[in-house]
Amino acid sequence: MTNAEHEIAVLLNNKLGEKILQTGTLQPGRAFVRVGANAQRDALEVLLEADENAGLSALTGVDLGKTIELMYHIRTRKIIVTIRTEVPKEDAKIKSVTDLIPGANFHEREVADLFGVKFEGHPNLKRLVLPDDWPKNLFPLRKDAEVVVPNRMENADVSSGDGQTSSDGKLINIILGPQHPALIEPEKFSLKVDGEIVREVEPRIGYVHRGIEKAAEKRTYLQDIYLVERICGICNACHAACFCQAVEAILGVSVPSRASYLRTLILELNRIHSHMLLLGHAGLEIGYETLFQYMWRDREAVMDIVEWLTGNRVIASFITIGGVRRDLQEETIPKIKMELANLKKKMGFYKHLFENDPTFKMRTKNVGVLSKQDALKLCVVGPVARGSDVKMDVRKDEPYAAYGEIPFNMVTYSEGGSWARLMVRLDEIIESINIINYVLENLPSGPYRVRVPRIVPAGEAISRVEAPRGELFYYVKSNGTAYPERVKVRTPTFANILSFVRIAEGGNIADVPASFVSLDPCFSCTDR
Amino acid sequence: MSLNPEFVFRVLVFPGFAFILLFTMFCDWVERKVEARMQNRMGPAYTGPAGVLQPLADFVKLLTKEDIVPFDTRNVVFRLAPILSFSIFVFAFLFLPVDGVNVILNSNFEGDLILILTLVSIANFFLFLSGWSSTNPYSAVGATRVLTQFLGYDIPLFILALAPAFLASNLSISAIASSQNVPFILLIPWAFALFIITLQAELEKDPFDVPHAETEIVGGYETEYTGRRLAFLKLAKDVQIVLGAAIAVELFLGGPYGPVFFSLPAFWYALWFVLKLVVVIVISEYLTCVFARLRIDQVLVANWKVLLPLSILSLAATVALSLYFNPLMR
Amino acid sequence: MRQMAKLSPMLREVFSHVFKKPATRKYPEVKPKVPVGFRGKHVFDISLCVSCGLCARDCPAKAIEMVDVDGKKRPLFHLDLCIFCYQCAESCPRNAIKSSEIFELASTDKSDLVVKPQTDFQESGGA
Repeated sequence: MTNAEHEIAVLLNNKLGEKILQTGTLQPGRAFVRVGANAQRDALEVLLEADENAGLSALTGVDLGKTIELMYHIRTRKIIVTIRTEVPKEDAKIKSVTDLIPGANFHEREVADLFGVKFEGHPNLKRLVLPDDWPKNLFPLRKDAEVVVPNRMENADVSSGDGQTSSDGKLINIILGPQHPALIEPEKFSLKVDGEIVREVEPRIGYVHRGIEKAAEKRTYLQDIYLVERICGICNACHAACFCQAVEAILGVSVPSRASYLRTLILELNRIHSHMLLLGHAGLEIGYETLFQYMWRDREAVMDIVEWLTGNRVIASFITIGGVRRDLQEETIPKIKMELANLKKKMGFYKHLFENDPTFKMRTKNVGVLSKQDALKLCVVGPVARGSDVKMDVRKDEPYAAYGEIPFNMVTYSEGGSWARLMVRLDEIIESINIINYVLENLPSGPYRVRVPRIVPAGEAISRVEAPRGELFYYVKSNGTAYPERVKVRTPTFANILSFVRIAEGGNIADVPASFVSLDPCFSCTDR
Repeated sequence: MSLNPEFVFRVLVFPGFAFILLFTMFCDWVERKVEARMQNRMGPAYTGPAGVLQPLADFVKLLTKEDIVPFDTRNVVFRLAPILSFSIFVFAFLFLPVDGVNVILNSNFEGDLILILTLVSIANFFLFLSGWSSTNPYSAVGATRVLTQFLGYDIPLFILALAPAFLASNLSISAIASSQNVPFILLIPWAFALFIITLQAELEKDPFDVPHAETEIVGGYETEYTGRRLAFLKLAKDVQIVLGAAIAVELFLGGPYGPVFFSLPAFWYALWFVLKLVVVIVISEYLTCVFARLRIDQVLVANWKVLLPLSILSLAATVALSLYFNPLMR
Repeated sequence: MRQMAKLSPMLREVFSHVFKKPATRKYPEVKPKVPVGFRGKHVFDISLCVSCGLCARDCPAKAIEMVDVDGKKRPLFHLDLCIFCYQCAESCPRNAIKSSEIFELASTDKSDLVVKPQTDFQESGGA
């Protein structure tokens, strides 16, 4: 790992020279380089040239008092390189990087919303996560933001309103959402259609924004575990795992190996149930109700296993800082293995069905195709990327928990359409069952947690976990008290939403739900 | 014509209006229960024994809801379309022999098969108008889809209905039904299979579910309807299902005619009619459960490139084979 | 349309389900069996409590209120705020808080949703 960091430090020093103020490493695999304002574009260009698979993982803003620090986290060569720069609070503006990386579009809009930083050159700097009638000069994530009761009428920004009736001559404006039978969670897509062909898509997210990042600063680290778990019900164990890993990195503790294996167990169970939920939902979107009912009936087996393990069906509350909260009893292991063997047989039937059912293939093959170049430019993650032949999986790139010791395959398909993305998830279910079987057979004995102090020393850490929907990214900064200074969450669907705009434009309206559901959108995650 | 009580009874109660309504609700229950069992779940279970009263409960519930008419709709068409389509479907039903003779006595005439199919088309057109008269983009898209799909399946439907008419040498439905000493499904099974598939398109069930695809366009043409009008629109669609299945029964399965075990042939004929219709509904529901929903352009391809040539071929095959069938008919 | 020639495996599967029992569990006539370690309604043993207040301090939902009982501070659990994470049970140094198998907590009366420190010794279904 350190070789890659060394190479990158040398490369940046050579190309940028005196623009670099400082280089260093936070933890293994987390290099950073501090540059002056507006030099971040040059550093970004250098990194993109050096590696064609480089992408923007997240864009974090931190309020440092007089300045706002912006950190561009770039994933390249299996490590994260952070480009840090600062802008003064009174005059917070910086050049946008969307012309270099189109995938930075939403990241910059979010920082503009929450911190008040203006990105010059951004194509569409409208509100993203805050409502349209939020007061114009109130930036919630700044430390000096005051609590006000907003006067919604005077602050309403109705310039971006789009009416129901046809606006551009023959283009009808169809609004998908926020309430719509095709969406499980609220988000608005304004589709401009011409007959049956979609010409333009404009997404608007933020309907479920609960301000979790700000709330995390007001709770202790132990309470924050339960808070971040509830960012998303479906991938809750991944959020808890990622947060705990970040805090453990700051503390410098390592969890016992039994705890690592048990964490792997709950993470893979999360993955199976999330993928099965999505495959059933995909059936519902294309009108295949029978598939939906069968898939969710079979998913009940996984919910039962999670209940035996953690005491609850959905929100696991299993992982804590220093390990896991309860042990796995010996007598449960044969029951789990039997249920998983049944599930594997059923998955064989579904795989046979997906490959052979004529109407299913007619609705999903060659629908919503995302090419490999687009996938890399838009920085998509997870099965969306792996369905377009991008080989990216955090469990392989940067093994965490027990993944370094468990043999498994990364599943990729190269067609790039909805069918490929759904098949990636189906194959991943089978891989997960194999991983769980390995974990159950090789579970090490020993303690399942270590005690950690309640007060975390000052420091910062980045942690990544492969959630069912893709790479989940956490940045935690502590200031030596019992409360964190900053918790930044970048969820996988946030990175994937832009690809929907690309794959929906030019297709039929009827393909919109089919291609949309194959991205596996989870808006609770997106909006936080 | 003088209004004798028997005529009034036949029109209003059995096999007329009341029978059609109750039978529609019964068939709706059968459909939902069969679909539920195929999907490994229970279906309606609590209202009435085994949930038999569920469709009635749904209808009554909708009648009690508030009736909202959006501001910009074309009022007359919007308000009348559900009632008109419902009444036209019921009117078409009155021409079918249910217990051996027609409802409106002596009203069968040479060519009432064409009349029934045309009435079905007109009622479908009213469903299109119901969507077109609402000022909702979802309704507009749903309405255009109804019409696009209608253009595709109507011609195959007519051609396929001509095959049994050719074998019976008669265009009157009751004559076709009564001339089946051997049910036509055994003589021309390909026509029955194609007819059932085309019927799926007419009844807007999977795989031809596209006009009211919930996950894409919310409700299609029924998006803006609420309360009483929605109740009648749904009832119109249910009667359409029963009517379509009844046409299939009359044309291919021998109508109400079947073995009569002891006296009162009218009762036995009605019973056979009900049983055969339930069988057709079960087959139709099975097809619904097994397929996903096709896109509108795929539906067009299926209609114009597959169903139409196959239906013409099936008619040609029927004509060619009719020489061999004639002895069976006598 | 050449794709239509292959038969879908769903055909046989759907047909076979007509003869199977539904997978629905007929709740409330049939109640589910709750596993060991299930997180249900709280059981508080006042004889073990030492009034340290750690449960109330660590509760993420601020659902525990320390109230005065016979001169000492004891926890009162507001189940309508509780998220059933059982961090309180973990933080308690004396294991005074345990879970039970009761999960049917819906009620039309808010006073049902409170576990008071003095009177709640649940014998039935106690963990």
